[in-house]
Amino acid sequence: MTHPAEPTAPLTEASRAIDGADHGISKKGLSAGSVGLIGAIVIGISCIAPAYTLTAALGPTVSEVGVQVPAIILVGFIPMLLVAFGYRELNRRMPDSGTSFTWATRAFGPWVGWLAGWGLIAATILVLSNLAGIAVDFLFLLISQIAGNPDIAGIAANPLVNVVVCLLFMLGATWISYRDMQTTQKLQYWLVGFQVLVLLIFSVAALVEVANGNAFDATAIDLSWFNPFAVESFSSFAAGLSLSIFIFWGWDVTLTMNEETRGSEKTPGRAATITVVIIVVLYLLIAVSLIAFAGVGDGEFGLGNPDIQDNVFFHLAGPILGPLAVLVSLAVLTSSASSLQSTFVSPARTLLAMGHYGALPEKFAKVSPRFFTPGYATIVSATVASGFYAVMRFVSENVLWDTITALGMMICFYYGITAFACVWFFRSVWFRSVRNFVFTLLFPLVGGVILAVLFFTTLIDSMDPDYGSGSSVFGLGLVFVLGMVVLLSGAVIMLWQWRKRPAFFRGETLSRAVAED
Amino acid sequence: MSSPARIVVGYIANDSGADALALATRIARASEAVLEVVIVLPSEARTSIVPKDAGYERFLRERSRTWLAEASAALGDDVAQSLHIRYAESFAEGLIAAAHEFDAALIVVGAARGGLLGRSRIGSVANELLHSSDVPVALAPSGSREVSPGQGVTRITAAVGTRPGADGLIEASVRLARLTHAPLRLLSLVSIDLPAGMDEELAELTSTVHADEVLLAARRSLPASVEATAVTAKGATIEAAVQSLDWHAGELVLVGSNRLATPSHLFLGSTAAKMLRELPVPMIVVPRTATPGATT
Repeated sequence: MTHPAEPTAPLTEASRAIDGADHGISKKGLSAGSVGLIGAIVIGISCIAPAYTLTAALGPTVSEVGVQVPAIILVGFIPMLLVAFGYRELNRRMPDSGTSFTWATRAFGPWVGWLAGWGLIAATILVLSNLAGIAVDFLFLLISQIAGNPDIAGIAANPLVNVVVCLLFMLGATWISYRDMQTTQKLQYWLVGFQVLVLLIFSVAALVEVANGNAFDATAIDLSWFNPFAVESFSSFAAGLSLSIFIFWGWDVTLTMNEETRGSEKTPGRAATITVVIIVVLYLLIAVSLIAFAGVGDGEFGLGNPDIQDNVFFHLAGPILGPLAVLVSLAVLTSSASSLQSTFVSPARTLLAMGHYGALPEKFAKVSPRFFTPGYATIVSATVASGFYAVMRFVSENVLWDTITALGMMICFYYGITAFACVWFFRSVWFRSVRNFVFTLLFPLVGGVILAVLFFTTLIDSMDPDYGSGSSVFGLGLVFVLGMVVLLSGAVIMLWQWRKRPAFFRGETLSRAVAED
Repeated sequence: MSSPARIVVGYIANDSGADALALATRIARASEAVLEVVIVLPSEARTSIVPKDAGYERFLRERSRTWLAEASAALGDDVAQSLHIRYAESFAEGLIAAAHEFDAALIVVGAARGGLLGRSRIGSVANELLHSSDVPVALAPSGSREVSPGQGVTRITAAVGTRPGADGLIEASVRLARLTHAPLRLLSLVSIDLPAGMDEELAELTSTVHADEVLLAARRSLPASVEATAVTAKGATIEAAVQSLDWHAGELVLVGSNRLATPSHLFLGSTAAKMLRELPVPMIVVPRTATPGATT
């Protein structure tokens, strides 16, 4: 790409790490290592946003696998973990803001790389619109709970009001991301702590209600819930898995973020482990307690009821917690809000990298000189996500549900490519050591194959108009149409860019490479 | 004068940064000072819910190098300069640290975030700096980038307050006038906005007398070798008083920081803030007690 002009005057650069240690948290009397660890866990949980993730994904997952949700949660973590190891290896070797895009281009050349970048951007844009949609629902629920008027919560169902409020949310999030506004660390800790605490209270309350015989559809907890082989069909299993990949999405950042920072070498690994243990325990607790409370039938509050599946906490908080339901609304709202900002970063940075390497117009590589954020890319991501949500809200009655399912598919797509990119990029060093063999070949390969199988199974199954929420277009399942539209429009834009910017597609700006040594 | 004075420029690759750079260049050329052009990037210690990304950090660093290189290329060779990338929790903190690092006599930043009608409004960045710097801070009004560097510094005006705290100001003004070979003008601003019913003539007389006394005291504190003119500006408000004066295009105005500021830290007082809104020329805010380090 364009080589930065060499400065004519002498230039000095302070090392970031040194400055960090001098002016940073260590100065405030906390040991660097422990802050690194707790901070990393907090960021990890905040990125995964368990309150938001569960309310969005639990219903669709139940609709696929019934009571075996806990099993699916446990199994779903495996491909995520395997791919995350590959992700870490790539990040260590080629740290680049373009992540999947850059790595796939390096390993497989510009075409595959472009599509991987597209998959990442599409997935994050889907989740942005879903996040904002969930936040809107809970905003109205919160207002109605505070005002004591249940009718207010129903306003969220009005598509026009819903879209307008959602766009306002997006506007706010864009503003915050563009200016890179930060919450204080303390507030961040409180928010995450609150989120985890509320989820605990929520599930314990559900179990207490079950014990008191007040459950809506008391279902006896059974060991078979944890048995993945009890799932009826492979299709359901695959669909459930691709959903559960979504619930762990974001966890991988804890593995990579602290790599070259202060603190001990073990910090990132430890932070990632603790984060995932907390998350898995929370998920299992919630899944088990809600199924025990509400069952998987399609009664009023049953988790199998399509009317509540796209946002289960929204419907179940009231019956379980009574007046305390307001806590759940607050937790989901804050969880979606704080995860909006970290979610915004990833499509923006990938777009920036694509602009930088000439895979997209150069405008995308613009960095705000004042806030040091990818300004143009941030605004484009926000605009597309808002437009997407607005259209979907009018096309589908179950927009949240369908976007989540399509999202699972997109994640499988670009994560799968990333995993294979890792395997291929490191092909010359596979057998240099046992470590290499495990982390650059075995784990990412198995993870990638699982994701590829999930992707194609979901793609084929979703052609059925009854798939997912049952929304359909032209006799095809909406999820399939959504996935295809996203991928094909990516291909079209890619061809257009190929015509306009052939340099990237000739590999002149970002060449293929193989890991050596 | 063993080594040349150093000026830290808080550079941002936009119009406001260009303003700062242009003003700093003008002062540096007039005083044979060295420019230390600094870009401050957010440090890792800054709390963030956005995960760190080594790749993006590297990209930012390279982008900043390009920005500095472009700025340096636009400056040309006639000003001694070096370029720096520093990390800090905030822009202001980074600049103050840089000023200490280089033992700089002055920090220059762009004041404006799109001030109305070409006049300065203080942006949040400049504001933070004004609240915490112990080094004089020059605020480049928007449009400074269009003033030719050849304009030089044609006059130094020290806006002398009416209460204690002027010592550092006088000292800094004298030093700057010497360095830039510019004449010094002492200014006392008098606003006559008294409650209705008071004898206006009497009030005017009192405040004018007071202003004259202040100027006299200031003059006395000048070293014997320094020539200075003195002027009293009168008006119904501070704004009107500022407007009633003549200003050179190449003029610099120095004001002392607020009495409420911690000693040797800046804080813009209300009079200075009002002046800033009206001044057509750059303003330099001097901490209440001059920095001992800046004795170049």
